Amino acid sequence: MLKLFKFLKPYWWQVLILILATGGQVFATLQLPALMADIINNGIVAEDTGYIWQTGVIMAGIAAASAACSLLAGYMSARVGANFARDIRAAVFEKVVNLNIVDIKDYSTASLINRTTNDVNQVQEVTMMMLSVMLLAPMFCIISLIMAVRTAPDMTWIIAVGIVAILASVIIIMSLVMPKFKIFQKLIDKITLITRENLTGLRVIRAFNNERLEKKKFEKTNDELTRLSIFLDKILKLEGPLVNIIFNGLTLLCTYIGISLLNKDFAYLGNMSAFAQYVSFVMMSFLMMSIMFVMLPRANVCAGRINEILRINPKIKWLKETKGLPNKVVSVEFRKVDFRYPGAEEKVLDGITFTANVGETTAFIGSTGSGKSTLINLVPRFYEATSGEILINGVNIKDYTKEDLIRRIGLVPQRGILFAGTVKSNIMFGAPNATLAQVKKAAEIAQAASFIEKLPGEYNAHIAQGGTNVSGGQKQRLAIARAICKNPDIFIFDDSFSALDMKTDAKLREALTPITKDMVVLVVAQRVSTIKNADQIVVLNEGKIVGKGKHKDLLAKCKTYQEIVKSQLSEREFNKEMKVARG
Amino acid sequence: MDKKPTKRKTSETIKSFVKFLISIKKYRGWIILSIFLATGSALLGIFIPKILGDMTNIAVNTYQDIDFSAIIGKVWLVVGLFVGSAILNYIQAYILTVVSAKYTRDLRNKIIDKIAKLPISYFDKHKYGDTLSRMTNDIDVLATSLSQEITDVSLSSTMLIGITVIMLTISVPLSLVAFVVVPLSVIVVGKIMGHAQRYFNERQNTLGVLNSRIEEDYAGQIIIKSNSHEEASLQDFNNVNKKLAKITMRAQFLSSLSMPVTHIFTNLGYVIVAVLGGIFTINGQINIGSLQAFIQYVSRFNRPITEIASTTSTMQSLLAASERIFEFLSEPEEEPDPDPAKTIEKVKGEVEFHNVNFGYFENKPVIRDFSVKVRPGMNVAIVGPTGAGKTTLINLLMRFYDPTSGYITIDGVPTREMKRSDVRRLFGMVLQDTWLFSGTVEDNLRYGNQGATLADVIRAAKSSNVHHVIEALPKTYHSEISEDSDNISAGEKQLITIARAMVANPPMMILDEATSNVDTRTEQLIQDSFEKLTHGRTSFVIAHRLSTIRNSDLILVMRDGNIVEQGNHKELLKANGFYAELYNSQFAEN
Repeated sequence: MLKLFKFLKPYWWQVLILILATGGQVFATLQLPALMADIINNGIVAEDTGYIWQTGVIMAGIAAASAACSLLAGYMSARVGANFARDIRAAVFEKVVNLNIVDIKDYSTASLINRTTNDVNQVQEVTMMMLSVMLLAPMFCIISLIMAVRTAPDMTWIIAVGIVAILASVIIIMSLVMPKFKIFQKLIDKITLITRENLTGLRVIRAFNNERLEKKKFEKTNDELTRLSIFLDKILKLEGPLVNIIFNGLTLLCTYIGISLLNKDFAYLGNMSAFAQYVSFVMMSFLMMSIMFVMLPRANVCAGRINEILRINPKIKWLKETKGLPNKVVSVEFRKVDFRYPGAEEKVLDGITFTANVGETTAFIGSTGSGKSTLINLVPRFYEATSGEILINGVNIKDYTKEDLIRRIGLVPQRGILFAGTVKSNIMFGAPNATLAQVKKAAEIAQAASFIEKLPGEYNAHIAQGGTNVSGGQKQRLAIARAICKNPDIFIFDDSFSALDMKTDAKLREALTPITKDMVVLVVAQRVSTIKNADQIVVLNEGKIVGKGKHKDLLAKCKTYQEIVKSQLSEREFNKEMKVARG
Repeated sequence: MDKKPTKRKTSETIKSFVKFLISIKKYRGWIILSIFLATGSALLGIFIPKILGDMTNIAVNTYQDIDFSAIIGKVWLVVGLFVGSAILNYIQAYILTVVSAKYTRDLRNKIIDKIAKLPISYFDKHKYGDTLSRMTNDIDVLATSLSQEITDVSLSSTMLIGITVIMLTISVPLSLVAFVVVPLSVIVVGKIMGHAQRYFNERQNTLGVLNSRIEEDYAGQIIIKSNSHEEASLQDFNNVNKKLAKITMRAQFLSSLSMPVTHIFTNLGYVIVAVLGGIFTINGQINIGSLQAFIQYVSRFNRPITEIASTTSTMQSLLAASERIFEFLSEPEEEPDPDPAKTIEKVKGEVEFHNVNFGYFENKPVIRDFSVKVRPGMNVAIVGPTGAGKTTLINLLMRFYDPTSGYITIDGVPTREMKRSDVRRLFGMVLQDTWLFSGTVEDNLRYGNQGATLADVIRAAKSSNVHHVIEALPKTYHSEISEDSDNISAGEKQLITIARAMVANPPMMILDEATSNVDTRTEQLIQDSFEKLTHGRTSFVIAHRLSTIRNSDLILVMRDGNIVEQGNHKELLKANGFYAELYNSQFAEN
């Protein structure tokens, strides 16, 4: 939490004003009871109307000053808080956007989002609380104490009694309740889980006629939750009446002690009620602080989660200037490339060596976990090879600037990811200067033009967040159009065709042929049919290359490849394929 | 953009309030009792400052020789009052706690019950998150605000009335000061808060925009990076972020105004009362103890007013939440099962579609006049491109949906004249979406047949090639798994769902072959298990593998939601229609 306070630094003078204003407000407010005591002692008892009026005017002035201070404090606190949150949020966002995929691989998207939004909100809220309550409460407490002691020094011990009583009640209640809160949260989570399961598993539950079983399961958890929440509330609800007893008891004590001291000094007549007010201020500030301490740990967790992101050290460093500047990409070469995730023992890629040339399609196939997706992620440096070299036109990719490398790559990921906006803005995502004609051309090649033209507004048709208003296949085609529009030198398809039906898949590949003839094409695929005609097929198994060559050669020689083909074809077709392969 | 959040009409508010009252009727006795207790507690508390004032008066009047015995009597009276008040307060809070806990428990049970009773179509049209948030957020709002509200309203209104009466008895002119100043501050604060609320709404909207921006950019990281879009994204983000900060500041500032405004009014009231009260005391209109008591009452006076004011807004959100829950609970349920329902004793497995018409939406027919007869033991393959509506047939078979016209028979018995559960019992279902609930492997496998022994479960697991996978888990069959557990792969989850169907051992099968992200070896195992599962059973398979398609007895070819062709592989190839086109495009070499 404290580490995040460095974001307050640019606002230090505003914080200073805030502190001063808060102090002023507290000081002013606390003068009033003392002045009231003066009215009673010097005005009423002495029957001096002039004094009463005079003091009244001073009191009104102080009230106004207090209001002005609290106005200023409110403004500063709103301003500092909003800017503080804005800066942290921007810092987290900037960090995440600029980090490499490998750096944030361990965090789910949901968790990253949470850190940027909810966690920041939490921290902001608590910081604001701290800036008001944490400033206000101790000041209130200390000044009230001083004032109390000054008004009635003989009664000071009452404050000690009050503080002990209030702290004891808060601590006892919290220590009874806190340990159970975790269980409570777990039960709430479980209720959510079962409800979710009932929704997502609707068909399965009904297919197995298990509605009643699910209901029983739910009711059991629900009963547990109810019992625990009654138990917790039973204790928590003690707090209100207890605090009331303490407050009333203290007021009574003040009055009684004040009265019994009257014989000693008649000024206690006015002082005792002023004192009672100061005591209640002290108690209030202790209550506020105790609330603060309950909230603080939660905010601390949030702050920790934010810091975790801000602390990440990017593992990949980019050059500021390109050393070698090849014009057109003619080859992508892997030389003995190994890759393992940071901290992991097992290699995901092991001794990968191959060359992909311009005008050729190099395909990668293998079972899940064979490392094929990781392999192509090394090209745009989403991950960095643990050892070995990746070269473009013979130049190590580490010698390129980020700008220069990324500009040459058109990547189509597994899932068609779209952004809110229009069809056009999505296709132009990587090529902000593209003309409408270029956009249309890209859409045509990607087999997307036909459905785009049916959309209301055509290329200006609205795309919802996450592309939820177009189908999976359409999303994928738009993603392909986006990569085409960029006119890259290196085209990477990461299993991009699986959302398409086989017919569209075939048509698309046909349309791509003319434009890919001066590109290096890298394709990861599940379906053999997608890559059968590739110039080079790289077969991966457990991170190693187990076969390299054309479809026919591999069918004849590579056992893993045979297995893959076999699983996708019928016995007879497979035999036919094999026959052709063997000539 | 000037659309203000639509204000709820009074009549609607009353309507949902009445609905809410009816729903809580069961507990009315307890609620009324707790209101009485709260009132009692407030009444007892009200007299405390007055008696304290009396104590001062006694002291002042008997000064020099203070009558301590009278004062001690008052002390015990005060102690009795505040202890009594606290006890009553606790008892009523306790009652309401139990009531609201039980009330929300009942509502939760009702919701889960409702989920089971609603037609599948409801969930195909509504997002899960929507239903989920009724179960969690809305119930949460009810649980936290229900008991608080009842307590606050009864305590505050009693206090308000009581304090008013006592203040009037002490001094009418001083009371008038309090009556003008304090409500005035509440009104002014209310006005300011109304203004702030507008900014808070705007802030909520902007926050929504920012959140979706973040969500999108984080989810699309790869695309942003591979298109060098970082700068542009950051700029977009900063624009919204700055706007958010600006609006937040305004909203916060306005709402922070309420403090100083309340303060200045209460302080002003305090000063006026002090000055006037002082003068009145000198003039002998009131005595000093009463003045001290009065000052205490003034400072207590604005709390019930602000509390009642804030109650209206909490009440609004409470009603909105309860309305969303009741709305869900009153959704039309599935048509009840026929009574008496027909049953099938020994199933042969003959399934027939008779002129079936069906559409998810009224004027968008998906299946038109479809008839087919499936003889016992036949393997039926359903093929077609993605989105052709292959699952529609499954929906109809399982009676997740019913045909608009026409009917389906099993062994000659129309399924519509049977209980839904009896129809579903006849089918085993393995879908692409491998749904497992969080629990042990064994519980999951036994899901379709609670009476199965461990031996049955293991036999099914062995036969569906998943036994060795389960054995490799840390606690074997007692290991905890769930939908998103990552100690088993997607393929292995699918194998478990196959084993689950085997344990249930139904006479007919419905399968979805689609397996994505499954490696070759697992794929083979799945295929092998599928074959065992369909062997000798009437089965419907959404087919993706050519081998399945070619070996099936009947192929239903779907396109754009319609069944366009039916027949076996050879016949369909010969017909040279859509099926032939599909088939050839998959291995389009010659």
